[in-house]
Amino acid sequence: MVSFSAKDLADERVRQELSSGLRKRLVVTVASHLKGSNRRIAVRQFGCDVTLDLWDDDYLVRIGNQSERLKTLENVLNRCLAVEGLFAGEPKSYQPQEGKEMYFVVRAEFNPISKKQCSELIRPTSGDDPVGPITVNIVRRRICRAERAIEFRSKDLKVPE
Amino acid sequence: MSRFERKILFAIGLSVFLALGGSIFLAQGALREVYRVGVNERFGAELVHGVEARRGQLMALRSGSEQVADAVGSAVEAELAKRRNTSKLEGVLRQLLQQYEFVQGIRVVDDAGAEVASVSREADPSGATMRTTTRERDVDAEGKKLRVAVQVAVPEVYFERLQEAGDASEVYSRLQRQSASVSDVYVWVFGIMVFLVIVVAFLIGAIVSRRVTRRVTVLAEASRQVGAGDLSVTLPTGATDEVTELTQAFNDMVRDLRDSRTRIEYLQRISAWQDFARRLAHEIKNPLTPIQLAAQEMDETYDGENEAYRKKLEHARAIIEEEVATLRRLVGEFSAFAKLPRADLSPSDLCDLVQSIHDSVPAILEDVGHGTPAPVEVRVNCATEPIRVRMDPMMLKRGVDNILRNAIQAVYETHPSGGGRVLVRAYATDVAGFIEIRDNGPGISKENWDRVFDPYYTSKAEGTGLGLAIVKKVVLEHGGEVRLDRAPEGGARFSIELPLMESR
Repeated sequence: MVSFSAKDLADERVRQELSSGLRKRLVVTVASHLKGSNRRIAVRQFGCDVTLDLWDDDYLVRIGNQSERLKTLENVLNRCLAVEGLFAGEPKSYQPQEGKEMYFVVRAEFNPISKKQCSELIRPTSGDDPVGPITVNIVRRRICRAERAIEFRSKDLKVPE
Repeated sequence: MSRFERKILFAIGLSVFLALGGSIFLAQGALREVYRVGVNERFGAELVHGVEARRGQLMALRSGSEQVADAVGSAVEAELAKRRNTSKLEGVLRQLLQQYEFVQGIRVVDDAGAEVASVSREADPSGATMRTTTRERDVDAEGKKLRVAVQVAVPEVYFERLQEAGDASEVYSRLQRQSASVSDVYVWVFGIMVFLVIVVAFLIGAIVSRRVTRRVTVLAEASRQVGAGDLSVTLPTGATDEVTELTQAFNDMVRDLRDSRTRIEYLQRISAWQDFARRLAHEIKNPLTPIQLAAQEMDETYDGENEAYRKKLEHARAIIEEEVATLRRLVGEFSAFAKLPRADLSPSDLCDLVQSIHDSVPAILEDVGHGTPAPVEVRVNCATEPIRVRMDPMMLKRGVDNILRNAIQAVYETHPSGGGRVLVRAYATDVAGFIEIRDNGPGISKENWDRVFDPYYTSKAEGTGLGLAIVKKVVLEHGGEVRLDRAPEGGARFSIELPLMESR
């Protein structure tokens, strides 16, 4: 289980954006890696859609299919960026790596545009242009990436036997 | 890599680089201009203003709802102060409900939570989704604490439009921030494509030029072989391009050289044989008369009584005279062969020659038949149009007569009582005129087809083997060729090919 806080993501500008009344997204990805390797053992990702309700003056936070209302931005950040006892992957993912050294990497992103939404927003023009689809893919990556992101890692650990 | 390949690749690379490099330059300018027009700060600012306007509208509605709640609270407080009871409160609430458009309902409860009065608006028949909330106000009247809950609502679409405007503004803002790099991405991707095109062009150029240079190298190597005297070289010709034409021309040239060399070698060999024949004739001819005279004298001057010895002398004289006569005939033929003149070529019609051969057929038949015409059918024909060639009619007729005579002799020996046939005909193709002599005699075995033209080769008991050698010499001096193969009738077929004066 992993516990961490990625509230450093919420700098002044992020806080302003979250209080703008427009829907914003916070995404946290936790991945475990073998030491000395970029190979992932397991990965867990979750996201919060945060909207300040200008009518009720509280925050509507939607995680997956569930939504809840929180009074303050601090509560929102605690709910979305501070994590206690998160399971990063299934136990079976770790069984082959028992006794090996590993570490966790946390990446928190503010307002990335999802692949699906990005594909809908930026489409290649129809026609025989061979460069278009390639270029659109690169442009999508640039435009749809998070407005702000932080990444940090844990100390090295041993996969329990 | 050969110099030729390097030159081809350099030319391909330069032309592709100039064309595509120029297009990158133009594309870069065009993309920047398109983005400058399509993505600009003013439009972005207008989008932001739109979002702010929608947000301001919602904030104003919210503020308005707070004011409405204040007003309802104040009205309830005033009513209670005026009447000191709540009996008429519901009527006041109904008036307030009609007064304020966004109020959906008003409920007044006491401090114990019991409802004092309550009114609510009927559901909107249009069915529009509304977002509702309750604004609560505490009212204190005559020491009695009441809570007024005002339910206010605004259409949900206001919030949806705010989100849509926000999404559009955000995407546009991102696009604006990335606009410079987006056009750079296009240029980079285009540049990579151009690079790939150049690489592909180089590869294709290398493959094509290598194929060409390989064939040119083979051609050069073959030329060196020809230069070293090997005329047996023949290069394969498969494709249909200029190099193939060159290869075909090379093969034709080598074939012509080979034919010329064969012709020259044959004529040199004939010349050597002529020289030999001249010397042989000279050496043999001189002692023949003394030998004959000596034999005659020995026979005539013997005056002895030995009759048997006299008969031996007479027999020996007869043998010597017969052999001397044979030798004289041979010497005569050798001399004729040795003195054979060079062909004197002049424009002539091959059909005239064939006609003159036709005229000499009866004499040949009579000669072969030893006084009576041999029973051999000889047909002579020619094309209706003249076949113009450069030839020495006399020498060529002598050669054709020789072949015709051989053919008549051959079929006469095979068919002495008739049935022998010989055909002499002249015809032409686009580039050459032909005289063909063929028969239904025994023919000549294939292994001797080349040897029959060698001097002194003969299959006849009394032949000198010079006839066909002379024919070949004459034909070669005409720039032509004589060939032997099997006739359709089963006998021999001689074909004399002479170049036409003008191609048809």
